Amino acid sequence: MTIATEAPERVGPPSKAARPHPIRDLLIKRSLIGILTLVLVSILVFAATQTLPGNAASAVLLNTATPQRLHALEVQLGLNRPAVDQYWTWLTGVLHGNFGKSLANGQPVGTLIGGRILNSLALVVLAGAIGTLIGVGLGVLAAARRDSAFDHVLSVTSLGVTALPEFVVAVVLIIFFAAVVVHWFPAVSVFVPGTAPWSNPKELVLPVATLVIVVVPYVFRMMRASMIDALESDYVQMARLKGVPKWRVLLFHALPNAIAPTIQVIGLTFLYLAGGVVVVEYMFNYPGLGQALVSAVSDRDIPQIQAIVLVLAAFYIAVNILTDVIALAVSPRRRLPRS
Amino acid sequence: MTFSRREFLKAGLAGSLAVGAGGLLSACGTGNTIKAFTTSTAGKPRTGGQLRAGLTGGSTADTLSPLNAITNVDFSRINNLYEPLVGLTPEAQPVNVLAEELTHNANATEWTVRVRQGVTFHNGKTLSADDVIYTFQQILNPKAPAAAAAGLASIDAKGMTKLDAYTVRIPCSTPFATLGQALAIPGYSDIIPVGFSPTAPVGTGPFKVKSFSPGTQSTFVRYDGYWQSGMPYLDEIVITDYADQTSQVNSLLAGQVDAVNLLSEDVISEVQGESKNVLLSPGGGWNPFTMRVDTGTFSDVRIRQAMRLVVDRQQMLDLVFGGFGTLGNDLFGIWAPEYDHSLPQRHQDIDQAKSLLKAAGAEGLHVTLVTSDIAQGTVLAAQVFAQQASEAGVSVSVDDVTVNEFYGTNYLKWQFAQDYWFYNFYLPQVSLATLPSSPFNETHWNNPRYNSLYAQAIATSDDALRTEIAHEMQQIEYAEGGYIIPFFPPVIDGFGANVGGLVPSKIGLSLNAYDFKGVWLS
Repeated sequence: MTIATEAPERVGPPSKAARPHPIRDLLIKRSLIGILTLVLVSILVFAATQTLPGNAASAVLLNTATPQRLHALEVQLGLNRPAVDQYWTWLTGVLHGNFGKSLANGQPVGTLIGGRILNSLALVVLAGAIGTLIGVGLGVLAAARRDSAFDHVLSVTSLGVTALPEFVVAVVLIIFFAAVVVHWFPAVSVFVPGTAPWSNPKELVLPVATLVIVVVPYVFRMMRASMIDALESDYVQMARLKGVPKWRVLLFHALPNAIAPTIQVIGLTFLYLAGGVVVVEYMFNYPGLGQALVSAVSDRDIPQIQAIVLVLAAFYIAVNILTDVIALAVSPRRRLPRS
Repeated sequence: MTFSRREFLKAGLAGSLAVGAGGLLSACGTGNTIKAFTTSTAGKPRTGGQLRAGLTGGSTADTLSPLNAITNVDFSRINNLYEPLVGLTPEAQPVNVLAEELTHNANATEWTVRVRQGVTFHNGKTLSADDVIYTFQQILNPKAPAAAAAGLASIDAKGMTKLDAYTVRIPCSTPFATLGQALAIPGYSDIIPVGFSPTAPVGTGPFKVKSFSPGTQSTFVRYDGYWQSGMPYLDEIVITDYADQTSQVNSLLAGQVDAVNLLSEDVISEVQGESKNVLLSPGGGWNPFTMRVDTGTFSDVRIRQAMRLVVDRQQMLDLVFGGFGTLGNDLFGIWAPEYDHSLPQRHQDIDQAKSLLKAAGAEGLHVTLVTSDIAQGTVLAAQVFAQQASEAGVSVSVDDVTVNEFYGTNYLKWQFAQDYWFYNFYLPQVSLATLPSSPFNETHWNNPRYNSLYAQAIATSDDALRTEIAHEMQQIEYAEGGYIIPFFPPVIDGFGANVGGLVPSKIGLSLNAYDFKGVWLS
C-alpha cells in the first residue's frame, strides 16, 4: 500500500536533457530508490519487532508485571492497538517530521538520538578519514618499495591485524593506554550528556584508534595492489623513460589511476565502520547510536529502533551513492556510455 | 576442585586485608561463608566533593519516579531523591524516616501515621499529611498501579483521612499488622508531593536532580534544605550507566569513577590488586527456582522434595558466587524476625531423592528449566542445577530465553523457571508470592492451612504470636513448597580508597542500598 504511493515517483523525471549527464542521473535515480529502500526497511524492521517475544510494557515492568500493571501500561503506550494501525501512526508521524516518543521513557526520539548521531558520526568520520590517509599512504609507499623489507613487514603485519576482531584490539589498547600500563587516556568514554564529541577529545582517542587499526589493513592492501598494477602499466614505464622524477610518477601518473578501485574499498570501509562502531561503542561505553540500538532492542522501544535503523540505512545509501559518484568523477572513461 | 578455589579466594582476601590500612573485618549474618569487609582509608567524614558512580543494570527505561522504580540501579537515583515513611537499616530492620510515629488499632485494620515536622521538598514545599494521602492514592491508582500496589493492596485508598496537618489515618480493607514492614520495602512508601510530576521530580531526599538522561548519565546535587543536619557530605553525585562489568572495572582502575556496583566474584582479586576496595554484602535478595505445584510434573510433592534434595547448595554457591553469600533453606525473608532459623539446613541427599522419585514413579525424569539472564548468576545456577540433578538420574534441559521472553506472556506461568526478588520481610513477601490472591504466585501455591495461618498472622498485633504462626507457615513451605531457594546471593561492589562511609547492606541493593547521604570523599 505504502509502496504503491511511492511508485509513480520511481519513474523519475523525463530525460529532457539531450546530453547524458551521468552523475546527475545517477544521483536522482539512486536517491529515489534509496527512499523506497528506507520505506521497505521500516516495514521490515517493524514486522521484525512484532515477532520478538515480549513488548515494551513487559520490558519496562520486568518482574513487577502484574496483569493490571501490564494492561495499564500497554494502553498508555498504545501497544494494545493492531500492528498495522501502530505502524501507520508512526509513518504519518515521520512524514510530518515527528519520530515519536520513546516507549521506554516517554522522551522524544529526536532528542534522544540526535546527540548520539553526532557522536557516532564523529567516530566514523574520524576513523574513516585517518584510516584512509594512513592506508593509502602506506599502500603507496609499500608499492613503491615493493619486495623490500618495509613492504614485507607491512604486509605481514596487516595480515595479522586483519585477523584481530575489534574487541581484541580495544582490550589491548585499554590495557596498555588506559587501565594497567599507563593511564594516558580514559578507559571508557563518558560524555556529559549534551556536549559535542569534539569537546571531549581525550575520550575519542582510544575508540578512534581501535577503529583505525581495524580498517587500515583493508585500505592498505587494496591500495598496494592497485598501485602495483598501475606502476607496471605502460604509461608509467613511459613516464619513467621520459625521465619524470620518481615522486612525480608516483603521485601524478600512478596514483590517480590506482585510486579508483580503492575508493570502492574506502566506501566499504565507511559502511563497515557504521556497523563496527556498535562493538567499539559497547567496549568503551561510548554514547553513540550503536549503544542506543542495543538498549532500544532490549527495551522493545520500537520508535527508537526504527529511527536508529533508518539513520543507519540512510547512511549506507548515502555512502554508496557518494562512492559511485566519486568513482565516476575520478575516472572520466567510466562516464562514457558503454558501447 | 571448587573447594580449593574457594580457599584460594579466601586466602587472597585475607592477604589484602592485612595490607589495607585501617582494615575492618566484620563477619556477618548466619552463614559461615560471608566475609564482609571494607578497607576504606578515607578517614573522617568530610564535606564536599563529587562522587562518580559507574553502574550497570540501567537502560533507557530508567525512571526517576519512585512509583515505577524496578531495577537495582533505579534505586541508585530514587533512594537519594526521595525518602520513605519507613526505611530499612543496613541490617534490614525497619526504621522510621519521614514517619515519626506509626501505630495501629487492636485488630490492625486501621493505621495512624504522623510524619516529621519541618521537612521540605526540593521545591520548598513543606511535607504534610496531604502528601502522604496523595502518595498512596498514586501508588494504588487503579488506572496506573505502581510497583508497590500489589504489596499495599489492603490499604483503602479512598478512606484515608487527614487528622491534622501531619497525621493521617489509613484504613485497611483486611487486617494488615505487617503494614509497617511492607512500607519499609524500597519504593513502597517514598513520599511524593501533591501534584508530583515525573518530568520535574522532587522529593525530600538529601540530593535533588540536576540532570537525567535515561541509560546514559544523571547528576544530583546536594539539597541544602535537607532536614538531617550535617547531611549530606557530598556536593554532587554523578551516576553513569555502564554496559558491562569489563568497562566498569577498567574505569574504576583508571580512576574515572569512585564506585561501581554488581560485580562478579571473579574480579574481586583484580579490583583489590589495584588497591581499590571491595564492598561485599550478604544480600537478602533471593533467586529461587520455581516449580508449579498445581499442574504437571511438580504437582507431586515427592518430586518437588526430590528436586530440593538434589541441590548441593554449598557447591552451587561456590560455583556461582565464589562461595560468598548465604546458604538457603528453601525459605525466603532471611533477615525477618519471623524467619524460622530452627529448621534444619537442607543438604544434598541423592539417595533420598532417588527413592522419592521412585515412589512417585518418576525415575529417569526429564524436565525443562526455563532460565534467563534476569539477575546475576541465574543462568549459571540453572546449569549447575542441571548438573547436580543428573546425579539423581533427572535430566534437566536448560532453556535460556531472553529477558523479554521470560517476562513476556508466559511469566508466572512457566512450569519450572527462576526469578529474582530483593529482600522483603516474610509476611509481606507471602502476600506477594504464595497466596492464591498473590499477584506473583509463580509456584501457584495454594495451601488452605497456610492461607488461614496467614490471615491469622496479619490480624494479630502480638509479635510473638505472629512469629509462632509464621513459623508454622514456613514449616509447611519447608516440607511441601514449590520454591527451591538454594542461596541468598551476595552483593559485590567496588570503590576507590578515597570513598568513606559505605557499609554492607543486607537488603540486596548495591553500595549500602545507594544511601549516599553518609558517604564522603577524602
